[in-house]
Amino acid sequence: MVVQGIITGIIIGGILSLPVMGVALIYGVIGILNYAIATVGVFGAFVAWQLLPYGILPAILGGIFTSFLIGYGLQQFLLNPLIKRKGNDLTLFFIITFGIATILSGLIKVLFPRPTISFEFQSLGILHIASIAVGINRVIAIAIAVGILLLMRFFEKTTKTGKSWVGTSQNLKMAKLVGINVEFVFSLVSAIGCTLGFIGAFFWGTLYNLTLTTGWDLCFLGYIIAIVGGIGNIWGGMISALIMGIIISFAGYWLSGMWQSVLLYGIFFLVLVIAPKGILGSERSI
Amino acid sequence: MKLQRNLPRIFLPLVFILPALLALVGGYTQWVTGYLYLFIIQGYVAWLLFFKTGQPFYGYSATMALGAYTCVVLQRFLNVPSIFQIVLGALFSSLLAIVFFLCTSRAKGFYAGIASFLLAIIFPKLIEALYPITGGRSGVQFYGLSLLLGPSNFFLIVVLTTTVIVALIFWLINIRAGKIFTLISENEDLAQATGLNTFNFKLLAYAIAGFISGLGGALYINYTNSISSIDINVFTSVSIFFIPLLGGKRSIYGPAIGALFYILVPELFSSIERYMDILYGLAYILIMIFLPDGIIVGLGRVINKLLSKIVRTKNMENTN
Repeated sequence: MVVQGIITGIIIGGILSLPVMGVALIYGVIGILNYAIATVGVFGAFVAWQLLPYGILPAILGGIFTSFLIGYGLQQFLLNPLIKRKGNDLTLFFIITFGIATILSGLIKVLFPRPTISFEFQSLGILHIASIAVGINRVIAIAIAVGILLLMRFFEKTTKTGKSWVGTSQNLKMAKLVGINVEFVFSLVSAIGCTLGFIGAFFWGTLYNLTLTTGWDLCFLGYIIAIVGGIGNIWGGMISALIMGIIISFAGYWLSGMWQSVLLYGIFFLVLVIAPKGILGSERSI
Repeated sequence: MKLQRNLPRIFLPLVFILPALLALVGGYTQWVTGYLYLFIIQGYVAWLLFFKTGQPFYGYSATMALGAYTCVVLQRFLNVPSIFQIVLGALFSSLLAIVFFLCTSRAKGFYAGIASFLLAIIFPKLIEALYPITGGRSGVQFYGLSLLLGPSNFFLIVVLTTTVIVALIFWLINIRAGKIFTLISENEDLAQATGLNTFNFKLLAYAIAGFISGLGGALYINYTNSISSIDINVFTSVSIFFIPLLGGKRSIYGPAIGALFYILVPELFSSIERYMDILYGLAYILIMIFLPDGIIVGLGRVINKLLSKIVRTKNMENTN
């Protein structure tokens, strides 16, 4: 049971690390807290679900395209002009991003025929390692999640665009001075953050139902994990996601979903008291 | 100047007398007005704690709900008289706010803000987890004072209590403690440099805000006679926070005006309830962008611009 619990925990943690990375990336580079990432992701997942009759690949591509476009458009046409005019005003962006999430929740209610969906795929079999049995679908899910995270790191280290967003996060003024198109970087990062939110929501939908409130649940988990790890700190976020995933997995044996959330909030509060900057400390640079 | 100085004295009786007349009419209008007053209380809590004292707190639905659910528990299991339920509800809420402040006082401002926002998300889940006691999403029926005293009588109590609370807040911001709250909000380092123990004053602000919010919650359940986890979700919390922003965060009348718009405008759109989330979201964004100082200040600016344009046109006509 212990090993099984740890494996399930790693899978949940791996999936959760995607929206957490979205939060970390956006806060790290742009310096604002975007509360709409998970809801954009869930909106993308509803679009993907709608496209499922055309095949799994068009569905996933449709979800990625939708969340990327929403993330890019929101940053480019709404948030960038506001940052320019008012700086990183936390209250302003709290209300604005909350407003965006509320609109998207409302759109899900209006546009899609079902308020609750899930992604149930045909089982590809069970993988047996020693005495542990893991569904191959779940192994694929965690492999894709880890693959995306590694791809992101690779992108950051090797490409010009990746380096430009690292530079922007480290020194905004200097980045502008050397000619980096900061607004484009912000929009791209927002688009990628929302796409990560979609991939996280999609995989979440393979484990649990996606409803109108899932965006808030993922936002809740995403921020708890991001803060416990140290907000803006990607590695801290990933470690925290794994720890929280394992806690959710074991708590699932004894506690209902609601109590699991209460337990996670308790842990989060404890971390806030003991280590106010999270396990690995907060940083705006990635 | 004299008018401006005396405005609170005019404003308060108006707040009190005019709606009290609705008790004669009764019915739905009275019910909605009572509801409006319950949200005026919460709006002033947000205004006092966030905008006046500068404390990053967004968990208003949690403190409000604790006041309400304390009444439920005390009535269902201990059969405590209503007045004690209300007082204990307010005290427990105050305690929650104090504990929250003590736990997050070491953290950076926005961490505390996120923690309080997450508190607003988690509290309905806690209520749902405690389903046998609280009724969860289905809600719980409560034999409130509005049933005991009659809806019109309790409506008058709500109006009276709101007026007293608003009067106390007006008084509070004009005494030394209130001025220190403003100083902490403007420049905490400066406040500390003058030898003030800002920690104690922030603690006081949380305690007062928690107490009033819990009191408002206790009145809420006595007014509506039922409550569910849906009534106190994260949207309620953000809406309460939004009330002073809507009316004008810099104005002492902001929360009252904000609550007026927040409660009455959706009444006009009740036929398109399906689209309400979209409209709320749009309102949040548009108000923050185009009317950052609130509706009244924003409208005042527009009217001033129009008036000055008319005067200018008339002057030009006269010159010609």
